[in-house]
Amino acid sequence: MKMFVCIKRVPDTSEADVKIDQTAKNVDSSRFSFGINDADNYAVEEAVLIKEAKGGEITYLCLGPKDADIVIRMALAKGGERAARVEDPRINYRDPLQVAKVLAALIKKEKFDLVMTGCMSSDDSNMSVGVALAEELGVPHAAMVKKVEILDGALKVQRELEGGLSEVVEISLPAVLTIQTGINVPRYAPIRGIREAQKKELKVLKLEDLELSENEVNEAGSQVELLKFYIPEVVSNAEIIEGAPEEKAEVMALKLVKGGLL
Amino acid sequence: MNAEIQSFMEKHDLLGCIQCGRCTGGCPVTVRTNLNVRRFVYDSIDESMLDELAKLSDIWDCTTCNTCAVRCPKGLKPLEVLIGLRGLLVESGIIQPTVRDALESVFQEGNPWKKPRATRLDWAAELEAKIAEPGEKVENLLFVCCTIAYDPKLQGIAQNLVKILHKADVDYGLIGEAETCCSSEVYNLGEAGLFEMMVEDNTELLNSFEAKRIVTISPHCYTTFKSQYPLVKAEIIHYTQLLAELLENNRLELTNELKSKIVFHDPCYLGKKNNIFAEPRYILNQIPGVEVLEFERKKERSLCCEGGGGKMWVETESRKERLAETRVRDARAIGADVLAVACPFCVLTMDDALKAKGLEEEMKVADITEILAKVAV
Repeated sequence: MKMFVCIKRVPDTSEADVKIDQTAKNVDSSRFSFGINDADNYAVEEAVLIKEAKGGEITYLCLGPKDADIVIRMALAKGGERAARVEDPRINYRDPLQVAKVLAALIKKEKFDLVMTGCMSSDDSNMSVGVALAEELGVPHAAMVKKVEILDGALKVQRELEGGLSEVVEISLPAVLTIQTGINVPRYAPIRGIREAQKKELKVLKLEDLELSENEVNEAGSQVELLKFYIPEVVSNAEIIEGAPEEKAEVMALKLVKGGLL
Repeated sequence: MNAEIQSFMEKHDLLGCIQCGRCTGGCPVTVRTNLNVRRFVYDSIDESMLDELAKLSDIWDCTTCNTCAVRCPKGLKPLEVLIGLRGLLVESGIIQPTVRDALESVFQEGNPWKKPRATRLDWAAELEAKIAEPGEKVENLLFVCCTIAYDPKLQGIAQNLVKILHKADVDYGLIGEAETCCSSEVYNLGEAGLFEMMVEDNTELLNSFEAKRIVTISPHCYTTFKSQYPLVKAEIIHYTQLLAELLENNRLELTNELKSKIVFHDPCYLGKKNNIFAEPRYILNQIPGVEVLEFERKKERSLCCEGGGGKMWVETESRKERLAETRVRDARAIGADVLAVACPFCVLTMDDALKAKGLEEEMKVADITEILAKVAV
């Protein structure tokens, strides 16, 4: 099984005091800690588990600055043969379709069976790169995957749907999966393993290496325009509906209809 | 493979064990868990058993309180066998997510609490604390500790200490954002590789200051620097030693009285590991109005609070009364209204125990810095 796993280094904003800078187009990240995107970490583990069970090889792909090397090395320490990081100021990292284009350019160069990435990045939360990547590669995809079973030339995967439902689908290879958190328990990369992983190949590439033209992936060529970041205003507008259950339900239903939600 | 296992047996001098069982007999956690450290010493001799032994959850019950080592008539360190077994698991990568996250956080941010390095000095924001500059002479370089720096419940320890140092006009300096985990708990969790790396980096950092002494606030940092950082040039002391020295030399005036019955709980890493028993008691005895009480189990026999040995990240499965709960019960029984400690882990475990026992109204847990700041600042 020849696998590619796309990973991203993201800030941990779970407890951080998030501030927007003066341009309103960036978040001040000077006081954040950084690490591998949570869902991507599960994709790494899933690839390593597949490799351990069925054999194969793993290549990690990442877009970002040199600081991202540490999360790549940690992934390589868990299992995997090589990695590539694309760092080019001309790339518009904000547009998931353009990010997918860059990743696809890396993958297309080789034969592959399976591409995995996290279902969502915890910073931009677009949930788009994985599925756009499948489109770029011209292969099927399954999103929000929480179980993978290897068949002959295909996969049987369980997808998470809304409302507590799951969907089981069979998908032919090659394919792209976006992995949901909780699918496995990501292992620890011991420091000795990380040191060993320094010996593994980590290529740093630019657009020219990918045979991509600048206007395919820069801000001018983007279909997405970032207008501004803002902190949502904290407002409280709760209304407690009183009465018997059936009365409450009726009032609630009317409110939802009037509000255009039903 | 044989050479590696041989080294495990040799490293821990397992054949030196005479199976007297004093280690297990003295082990404080045996009252609430099934840990039998003697069995691990004995069974680890069989090289084929090591991987299986490492999978037993008992190895995570050890709090590294050092009682087993203190009691061993052969001078062995049974706790190190358990740490060694933890190390086998860590090397395999298959460890509890809480342990994994703590270790990754030390590697990436220099602290085990998943906190950004950039916020390490936030606790000092309201103080005019002095930051030492590398290459500049400083009498006392203050090493704050990750848990104190980041936990809002504990930041007062460092704040009070800085206020006391200002009051006594002590030449001191903080390391600032560059301060990095001493890695005592990294070692105890079995990540020997990361520990070695941190020792190397921290030694370089600490030696970059022209410090006469490094004053540690946590006994865990103190023990680690003192016993596992052979190349650090400055003398390592614990803050209770500095405060006792200030009082002894009349450099710190105690201006207020404190009517209180205080019992001091000897932290394992201060007492059992380093024999520092006198200084905390001396400080408390200097405070006008304070009556210092003693536990029946004190000094070398002090009961572990279960906060060390990586236990901040590994919960013991036992539902029996926690040792810290026993401790606060005992403190109340002898009439104490303050349970004094000198270790951040003890503050956390004892304070939780106080709440669990519903004794918050009658008694308080306080670090010595908090008590002293009340009468000195």
